[in-house]
Amino acid sequence: MELFTPDFGLIFWMFVAFGVLFLALWKFAWPIILKTVDSRAELIDKGVEYAQNAKEQLDNARKEAETYLNEARRQQADILRDADKMKTQIIEQARQAAQIEAQKVMDSAKLQIQQQQKEAQQQFRNQVSEFALAIAGKIVHRQMEEDNAQNQLVDSLLDEIEKKN
Amino acid sequence: MKRLYTIMTVLLLGVCSTFAAGDATAPADSSSHEKLNPKEIIFEHLGDAYGWEVPFDHHHRIPLPIIVYGTDGFHCFSSSHITGGETYDDNGHLFCLAPYGSPHQGKVVEIVDGKEIRPFDISITKNVAALFISVLLVGGLLLWLAAFHRKNRFKAPRKGLGAIEALVTFIYDGVIKPTLGPQARKFAPYLVTVFFFILAMNLLGLIVIFPGGANLTGNIAVTLVLSIITFLVTNLMANKHYWKEILWPDVPVWLKCPLPIMQVIEIFGIFTKPAALTVRLFANMMGGHMIVITLTLLIFIFSAVSPYAGGGATVVSLMFTIFMLLIDVLVSFIQAYVFTMLSTIFISLAQEHGHEETHGGDETARGVLETK
Repeated sequence: MELFTPDFGLIFWMFVAFGVLFLALWKFAWPIILKTVDSRAELIDKGVEYAQNAKEQLDNARKEAETYLNEARRQQADILRDADKMKTQIIEQARQAAQIEAQKVMDSAKLQIQQQQKEAQQQFRNQVSEFALAIAGKIVHRQMEEDNAQNQLVDSLLDEIEKKN
Repeated sequence: MKRLYTIMTVLLLGVCSTFAAGDATAPADSSSHEKLNPKEIIFEHLGDAYGWEVPFDHHHRIPLPIIVYGTDGFHCFSSSHITGGETYDDNGHLFCLAPYGSPHQGKVVEIVDGKEIRPFDISITKNVAALFISVLLVGGLLLWLAAFHRKNRFKAPRKGLGAIEALVTFIYDGVIKPTLGPQARKFAPYLVTVFFFILAMNLLGLIVIFPGGANLTGNIAVTLVLSIITFLVTNLMANKHYWKEILWPDVPVWLKCPLPIMQVIEIFGIFTKPAALTVRLFANMMGGHMIVITLTLLIFIFSAVSPYAGGGATVVSLMFTIFMLLIDVLVSFIQAYVFTMLSTIFISLAQEHGHEETHGGDETARGVLETK
């Protein structure tokens, strides 16, 4: 049958035509087309990868920023609390210092007062003794004006000394 | 409502064509001595011709050059000199188309001393012309794509060129790369060219009028050449391992030593692969064309029985023809794809390395075990 017997002319032209087509495309079309297709695919792959990385990094950065922010907030709270504590402490210290100082002042004042009191007492005693001496001298002077009395006293004193011995 | 329109249209078509056929009966009777010969018509449409038919005209054809190497050198003349059945005298050498019943029926023969001698015929027939048109089409489109890429690097083409590039990547990324791996770039030019070439020939064959209509891929010469080229590429580019597998395969020695059973089978296999390629594409495309023509011919066969049957057959066969043509568009694509895919697989089989070369230690161990 004609359909199943290949025709020589067609085989010949087929080789020629396909050869020409293949050579032309092989030389002028396929290198550039395949290269572009390949490199574009690569570019797209890289782009996707890059975008994914970028997103990941962004997410990471956001997370990091949040942790930093939280950290900062915590620190701020800490600092505030510390400051508060320190304030009360300082006030407490100041109060204590003031108290101590006041005590000291009071103590020294008391001491002084006591000293002065002592001095005053001493003075007072001295004065009293002076007054007493003066009074006693005057009294003795008046009593001793009489000889009797003087003898009597000497006698009594002598008796006393005798008794003791 | 839409469905109703469709049904009405089909019914109306049926009725109209029936009346038309009925009207045409009277003049048709006068020329009914030209008996309808479906077989001849089918084979005429499936086969080759020295001119290209034009629609609505049975007498004029687009003339194509006839190139023959006769008894004393090349002769070149227009096919319009002989397609009417005349004998053409080219410098004393007589050429004509061999008449019905001759062993070279329908082909150009040289008449020497009253005998028909078939010359060496490399005429530009209808199929060859269609081949050239396909080559120009494919070459033009792909060079256009290449020019686009050369001009705009990394920019993806849109619209028509985008469709072509989609096909390129469909074959290149979808078939060639996964199968051939690192050698994809080496064989891709051949394989993608074959794909586009077959696709163009298939689709042009489905267009009924001038630039198409030639049953190219349904011609065994075309598919034969394509599979011969695949065969040559496969075997000439094959590596050592491929030939070792054929000449000394890993089978028990008694299967290959005194009687070369495996070798015979393997060598037979080398040739069955391209044969399968040839026949698959040829039979699929020819079958598609044959069904469409047969369905169309049904109209005339039924009209010969009765005009009313012919009218009914018109609607039915028209619908079936359109359906078949649409399927053929799909088949065109599938067959081009299958041919490319099988070529890729055959080539990749000849490029495969043994277990020892491609894989690491584990595979080597397994290879050794298998050998034992």
